[in-house]
Order: sequence, then structure tokens, then C-alpha cells
Amino acid sequence: MTFRQARWDEPSVWDLAPPRSSEAPPQISGIPEKLRRKHAVQWPELSELEVVRHYTRLSQMNFGIDTAPYPLGSCTMKYNPKVSEVLARRKGAAEVHPYQPEATVQGSLEVFWRLERILSRVTGLPEVSLQPAAGAHGEYAAMLMVRAYFRDLGELAERTEVLLPDTAHGTNPASAAMAGFATREIPSKDGCVDVQELGRAVSKKTACFMLTNPNTAGLFESEILEIAETVHASGAMLYYDGANLNAILGVTHPGRMGFDVAHLNLHKTFATPHGGGGPGAGVLAANDKLGPYLPVPRIVKEGRRFRLDYDRPKSIGKIKTAYGNFGLDLRAYAFILSHGEEGLKHISRRAVLNSNYVASRLGKHLPRPFRPLVKHEFVLSGAPLKERGVRTLDLAKRLLDEGVHAPTVYFPSLVEESLMIELPETESKRELDGYIAAFERALADTPENLHAAPRSLSVTRVDEVRAAREPLLSWKDLRAASEKAETP
Amino acid sequence: MARWIPDESGEEAALLEGLGISSTDALFTDVPKRARIGRMGVGAAREEPDVVAEVDRLLGRNRPLSNFSSFMGGRLTSRYSPAAVDSIVSRSEFYTAYTPYQAEASQGMLRTLFEFQSLWVEMTGLDVANASLYDGATAGGEALLFCRRLHEGTRFLVPASLPWEERSVLENYASGPGLRVEEIPYDDRTGRLDLEFVRSAVAKKDVFGVLADVPNGFGHVDEGVSELKSILGDVPLVIAADPLSLSVLEAPGNYGADVVVGEGQGFGIAPSFGGPLLGLFACRKEHVRSAPGRIVGATFDTEGRRAYALTLVTREQHIRRSRATSNICTNESLMALAFVVYATVVGPRGLARLQASLAEKARTLASGLGAIEGLKAPRFDAPYLGDFTVEVGRGTAEEFLDRLRRRKILGGHPLSDPRPASTRGPERILVGLGETTSEKDIQKYVKAARAAIGAVGRTA
Repeated sequence: MTFRQARWDEPSVWDLAPPRSSEAPPQISGIPEKLRRKHAVQWPELSELEVVRHYTRLSQMNFGIDTAPYPLGSCTMKYNPKVSEVLARRKGAAEVHPYQPEATVQGSLEVFWRLERILSRVTGLPEVSLQPAAGAHGEYAAMLMVRAYFRDLGELAERTEVLLPDTAHGTNPASAAMAGFATREIPSKDGCVDVQELGRAVSKKTACFMLTNPNTAGLFESEILEIAETVHASGAMLYYDGANLNAILGVTHPGRMGFDVAHLNLHKTFATPHGGGGPGAGVLAANDKLGPYLPVPRIVKEGRRFRLDYDRPKSIGKIKTAYGNFGLDLRAYAFILSHGEEGLKHISRRAVLNSNYVASRLGKHLPRPFRPLVKHEFVLSGAPLKERGVRTLDLAKRLLDEGVHAPTVYFPSLVEESLMIELPETESKRELDGYIAAFERALADTPENLHAAPRSLSVTRVDEVRAAREPLLSWKDLRAASEKAETP
Repeated sequence: MARWIPDESGEEAALLEGLGISSTDALFTDVPKRARIGRMGVGAAREEPDVVAEVDRLLGRNRPLSNFSSFMGGRLTSRYSPAAVDSIVSRSEFYTAYTPYQAEASQGMLRTLFEFQSLWVEMTGLDVANASLYDGATAGGEALLFCRRLHEGTRFLVPASLPWEERSVLENYASGPGLRVEEIPYDDRTGRLDLEFVRSAVAKKDVFGVLADVPNGFGHVDEGVSELKSILGDVPLVIAADPLSLSVLEAPGNYGADVVVGEGQGFGIAPSFGGPLLGLFACRKEHVRSAPGRIVGATFDTEGRRAYALTLVTREQHIRRSRATSNICTNESLMALAFVVYATVVGPRGLARLQASLAEKARTLASGLGAIEGLKAPRFDAPYLGDFTVEVGRGTAEEFLDRLRRRKILGGHPLSDPRPASTRGPERILVGLGETTSEKDIQKYVKAARAAIGAVGRTA
């Protein structure tokens, strides 16, 4: 495929129309002189058409799922159905204020309630809250819940440690640390949790073990029931990171596997668009032990009416303004309705089929460090490329020239020069074969070309080292830098 | 079955054949039998028209803002957004992208985020903004942890007038590292912070940060915030600022703020029953390595072209893990796009004009309500920009609002903490206005308020 991304010579918005500075904004009576703004905010004044053109041009220098396959491992970049976009913009969804009286927001409350009930069945955990704004936010809230639970048991002083495998997403240890826990990594064996090691590490000091299943190596942790037993024997909690739920819908669920609390990412499994970094939408699901600690308010149904319930004495309180990212929750609800039970099961079967198909093909070219049967994603090692003076990063950049997004690279870190590839259920066989062919072309290319990639995008290889060494983080920094450069 | 899973005839059979297996069952042999589940109980699939009808039926049980004369205010607004904003936000090159890990493929979003960061820097008078956080409340929570990295201590001071939700979020962020959130009392007449309280608290050496909001939780502008830094010395000052207010108010960086956070929803983002929202965060350059969240930096490509990339990533969870400055992975990039497009379409003068017009309307409404016996409006004798507090002298705030609602008015929201364990404060309502609030709406509110409070008087 010949691919050329737009390469607009588009100035920054402040260079389109340098702001005129001196004018003071209108004065508002009663505002003391000390707090009055002396000069208007320094920002350009452009016509609406100029603004629209500017951001349209920028958009054309950006990859999205709608432009190309986006096989970022652990990110589950599947098609975001258009019907959900239409529904989320309905007046009855968008033009509703969260502090309106309950009687006027029964529809929103019912959407929340229905989605919570469905996700309870999907996770096998009875209590659900949609309040977290994202997956990591859910992890953090869950760690606060675990903390509150052990405080009530009088064990918090002792249970100071959260365990996690060395394949864990970085958000896991970060969330645990923010919630005040020390973290300790359990080494993996053949890409999975080493249950013996776990058994040695678990103690009365353990508050929780955080696990993603399938894990970030794309492997199902087959010893999950033994893991749950080991963790629970010490009285600790077992946490499910739902980032990889796309592999197991209808096959198993966190409840059956023995997890006490879970987060899900609606922007992964349930296809809400990720917006170039966010918004996401997080889900918290918990068993009866941890359920009472979920954030308030909870959504309750009384007869035919829905209500926000704040009467949860054990709740950790609020973790964000209002109740959750409703706009995303509604999209996920429409997605689930469209699929139904069989469709949800089909999602995982197809995602895993796609993954194994591509893995078996690409595994002929690069080593697959673990067992061949994978779930929704798989890991390759780019280490052999080093003999040709090529790194995984070069391969990733060269793939961009093929008009496909790069995989996740250098994660998980237990694999040298790793590439993590995930092509979800919405990619057709034609796209998979196209991706395999693109990957093979990229691999077969010369080291010179791999080093020079990408060449078909709006910019060539970006100097990220310089970005970090000499940080220029705003227009203000750019102005200062150019003044400095002009000073003899 | 949803048509989003490709099913060209023979397609899955060909994939299975490629793997030399006959059924996808062979792909799940690694899931132990004892861990298997039967039916989830989700129900049958529906076709698209049916899904649309079902969702519309549910949404039909809502009564959106346009059914009312709306006076909903506070950090979350019901302000108008020009159609151009949603048009840009709806471009799928933006909304179907992931976090811009591959800089070369994502210059559009990276440049947008750089412009967004630059705008928040210009508005706040600080040096560095991040690429967004979840919402204003969590931005405050991140600011609390940020302050603790800059300064020793266990106490974080916030106004007693801070909305209860934000206070609760802050308490959660404080709880992990064993920190405490404490209230600064306010003057009962003006709502102004008790600066002497702050002075003596700081003198005890255990305060690691102070947060003050502009406008405050009552909607008022407290002149005292500009004096806080001189009291705090090297204790970090966090200002939680409404972005629209910064079109007319001094940049907090110019009166000593070390951090400025805010809720960006009012800039081009629909209220959507509370999310997605937009957390704003800016700080001083010397503290950037302690800052939470993604940050975009400017650099060059190999051919000397200006290019942008996520930078200073060694602060972040995917590199630093348990020692990261925050667990932020997903943020609110698309909402940051809406924010910068909104501000640019409306323009700096347009923003200031909007704020001035809201202040004008608010004065008209406050004087109308203030003349009603049984209501105190505005409750506090202090300047305001659009939102203000009304105290209901008879009955509860909820009863009063309920009576207004029957006349198709959303009269604001109660300020009290709804959790049963909390002590119920005075009956106060935060009232706000928007572009679409007309003189007629204001007169309607005043008339209905008079009737509502009169009705309580009769039944009392």
C-alpha cells in the first residue's frame, strides 16, 4: 500500500494571527483592582473558518482507528460504532446537568443502573459503580477501598504491601503507591505468575495481589484458581485489572476466577472512543466484602423510580465530580445492546482467533518468547534484529510508513526489544493479511531504510531525546527560546 | 449479531484453517474447566434501529435543560457551545486515536495538546500545563499530592466553602499517604477566607499546601486570595480557578499561585450528566518534574521540521511505576481539544464579554431575589461574576427548588452534603446563568421564587 499522510505546513494557532496585547478586558463592578486582569488573555483572534481549517488540517496529520489498523497491544483499539456517537449527542443525553433533580434525570439514572446490572453479570461481581473516569482511576479507587476494608478489620497497620507480577501495567504499582501501599513485584515464569514465588511472597503483610488476566504477555494465567487460593489463604484481596477483558467475555469472568474487586475500561472492551488519550470510562465491580466501600452515590431502583443513594456509611466517598462519564457509559450501553450475549462471546472468540492467526504468521519471522497459544494479543521479540543494527523502534517507525499504526513497543519489559500486537475482533481477515504483508515488507527492508523511517508522515523521526533534554512545553517557552536566540 | 465483527462468508473458517484447527474452542484450552462460566444473562442482540429506539426511549425519561429556564451553575455549567467545536471534536482522526505514543503518526493531536497547554499557561500566568487530568476535583487531588512533593508537612488547608464533592475527592487523595485536609473558616457576612487562621496554621509548620478557589464555592470572588502567598511563604499555593473567570481576573501566577487547577467543562463540553469533564493543571517550570500527567513538548524531526512529542515521561507510571508522580494513563485529550477550539472560536475578547454579560444578568437576578422576604440573595456581601449563593430562610433548599421546577425552572443546586452522616448546613443554593438566560427567564425566576417562598410560609 502506498501511503502518504497529509503534510500541511500549518503554523501554530498563535502564528496565524499574533495576539494584539494591550487591551484590558471589560471591568466587572465590585472586582477589586488587585484581582482585575490588566491585559486580555494573549490568544489569537481568528475567524471561525480559520479556526476550523486549522484544526481540520491538524486532524489530517493524525492516525485514528478510522484511518488505519491500530494494533497497540493492551489498548484494544477496535472500531467505535458510529451509532454510539449519534446517541451520545442526543439532547436527552448531552444537555442534562448532573445536579438536576432526580425526577428530571430518570433516563440517565436508568442507563447507569442497567449498564451496572449488565456489567455485574459480565464480571460475576455483584456490586458495580461507574464513577471512575478511567481504568487507572478505578484501580486507584479499588486500592482505597481495600485500604478502608482493612482499616475496618483493624489490620491496616499490618497489611502494608501490594503484590503484582513483573508483567503488570505501570498504572498498577502507581495506583497502589498513591493509595499508600508499598509494592513488590513477583517474578514471572514462562510469562505467567510463578505460583511458588507468589506463595513465598504472600503474608500477613499483604493487602492485595493485582493481576491482569490474560496478562500483558497475552497469556491466560491458567493457574488462576491456585493464585486466588494462595492470596485468600493469607486474608489478602485479589484485584482484577480488566484491561484485557476482551479475550474472555463469556468464557470466564473475574468473579468465577476468584477476584474480589475489578476495574474495566469501557474504552477498550466496550468500544468507546479513546479521544487521542481520553476520555476513558472506568468501571468498578466488587464482591460483597468490598461492595460497601464503593464510591457514593450508588444508583438504586425503588419500584419504577431510580435514585442516587448516599447512605453508604462504609463508602470511600467521592472520587470525581458527579457520577461517571455518562457520555461514554451510554455509548458502551448501546454497544452491549447491539451485541447481546452471543455477540459478546463472539467478540472474544474472534479477537483471540485474530490474535493467534497473526501470531502464527509473524512468529515465523521473530521469536515468540512464550507458549504459542495466546489470547487477544501476543508478544514478539525484536532482539534478533540487533544483528542487523536494527531495533524494535525502527521496525515500529517503518510500519507507520505502511499506513498502519505501530504495536506497543518495549512493553512488557521482561521480553527484550518487545513488540505487543493486538488486532481486535473488528479487523477483517483482509486487514489481518494486509497487516502481515506490511509487517513482512518492513522486516525485509534494509537497515538504512528502517533507520530512516518514517518518511510518509507529516514529520520524519521525532527527536524525543531533545524534547526531554531541552523542554519546550508551551508557546511561552517557544517565545523565550526565540528571544534568547535573537540576543547576540 | 452486531455487524461490526466482520463475517464475510468463509472468513472465520479460513482463519481457523490457517491455524490448523476446526473450532475456536481449541483457543481456550488454557482456561481451566473450573473457571468456566455458562450464560452471563445479557439478553439477545438487537439491530441498530432497535438499539436507537431503546436508547431514545430511556433518554425520553430525561427532561433536558432546554425543557426549563435553567439556572444550573457551579463548576459544571450549561453554557452554549458553538457548533464549530463539536464539528472539530467529531473528526474521527482525533476521536478514534489512542494516546500519541508514536509521535510521527500523531502530530495533529500532539500539536493540539501543545496549543491547549499554551492556552492554560497564558490564562494562569504560570509556566507549564499538562495535557489534562480527569476533572477539576481530581486535578485538585493531584495538586495536593504535588504540593506534598514540594513541601514537608501533613496538613492541607482548603476553604470551608469548597463544594463537598471536591472536599471528599481531596480527602481520598490525602488518605493514601496519611495526610489531612483541614478547613479554613470564612467570614459569615462576606464568605471571605479567614487569613488570620491561615497565618497561625502556617506558623505551626505542618502545612504543606493551601488551596483556594476563584470564584469560591459560593460563587464569589474573595480579594483575600491575592494576599495568601505573602502569608504562606514557601508553602505552595494552589488556586482552583474557573477558566472563564480568568478572561477578566488577574492571572493567579501573578499573585503567587504555584499551581492553578480548574474544571474545563464550560469550554465547549456538554454537561452530559457529569462526564466526560476536563481537569486543568499548571505549575511553575522549576517544579515540572514533580508534575502529574502527560506533557507534550516541542522538538524537531530529523529534517529540522518543528515536531512535537510526549515528554518528561520518566515522571510517569509506565516508566517509573510505583515511584511515578501519578497513576494517570488515560486523561481527557479530546476534551482538551474542545477547550482550545472553544476558546479560539470565541476569542479572548469574546470570553471577557461573555463573563461581563453573565455578571450583568446575575446582578439583575440577585437584586430581584434579594427583594423577596425569606430569601437572602446574594447571601454573601462580596463581588461575583455569574454564580452566587441564595439562602432560603423558610423550608429546605430542596423544597424551594422543587416548587420552582413545577414552574419549569431549574433554580440551581443545593450546596449541602447529601451524605446522611454529614451535618446539614444552612439552606443554600448556588445559582448560575448562561448565554441563553433571557430577561424574561430572570423575571420568571423572581416571580416563581416569590410564590415558592410564600407557599412555604403558608404551610409552615
